[in-house]
Amino acid sequence: MCYGAPMSEHRMESSDAASELAEIARRQAGAIQAVLVPRWYWWAVGLLLLPIGIAADSHERPYAPVVVVAAAVIIAALSLWMITGAYRGVRIHPATLGSAGPLYIVGFVWLVVGVTLVVAFGLQFEGIPYPGTIGTILAAAMLIVGGPILMSRLRRAMVERSAATPR
Amino acid sequence: MTEPRFDEVIHAPTRLAIVSLLAATDWADFKFIRDGAGLSDSALSKQLSILEGAGYVMIRKAFVGKRPRTSVSLSKQGRSAFKGHVAALQQIVASAGTSLRAG
Repeated sequence: MCYGAPMSEHRMESSDAASELAEIARRQAGAIQAVLVPRWYWWAVGLLLLPIGIAADSHERPYAPVVVVAAAVIIAALSLWMITGAYRGVRIHPATLGSAGPLYIVGFVWLVVGVTLVVAFGLQFEGIPYPGTIGTILAAAMLIVGGPILMSRLRRAMVERSAATPR
Repeated sequence: MTEPRFDEVIHAPTRLAIVSLLAATDWADFKFIRDGAGLSDSALSKQLSILEGAGYVMIRKAFVGKRPRTSVSLSKQGRSAFKGHVAALQQIVASAGTSLRAG
């Protein structure tokens, strides 16, 4: 069964067209998978938060501020490496990510920061020892568990949005 | 709504792989495309030249430190052609479904 498509005067079997669409979807899914933040990133950022919490509780000068700044710089550099696409040599197209994608990511970061601050200051207010450490342990756990879940949701949304997906 | 338009330049298997990868991305390194499409350096260079000649990709060469780095992005024309090609394929598949149901 052949089709003389008026848009191109091209004749192609429908099964071949379906195979080509499947191939496009497979390639795009591969590109989407490559741009996702890897699991180790969430572990790295989570673990890097711990010295910040410990340093905040210790109040030891000059070590505490140095540890906080060093950890923050490493986290920022690592994040920049991911966001700019330098890590895998590729950056996702905004249309593939969709308008809701950045909102999910920013929302997740604010959720982690907000919960951490509320918990840490709450513990400090109650006079419980090591509020910073406990707060950052909670933040690390949220990142390690929530980060991959967020990436999984984004991947699904991006694959569904990609060009070859039947609508 | 994208107008269905079958594109012979994109239809070739190696170029289809390259353009499909690029369509999902803002830009991609030469190495990323080479590995993703499973091509050799020379084969990829050849296909990129054809796509560049058609006005479908933009190739940018820069240095990161002392290392040369080539990045590729789909041009507006290339993105439009890709969408038209996908729409044409979807139309062929949809037409088959319609004629099967009609039969």
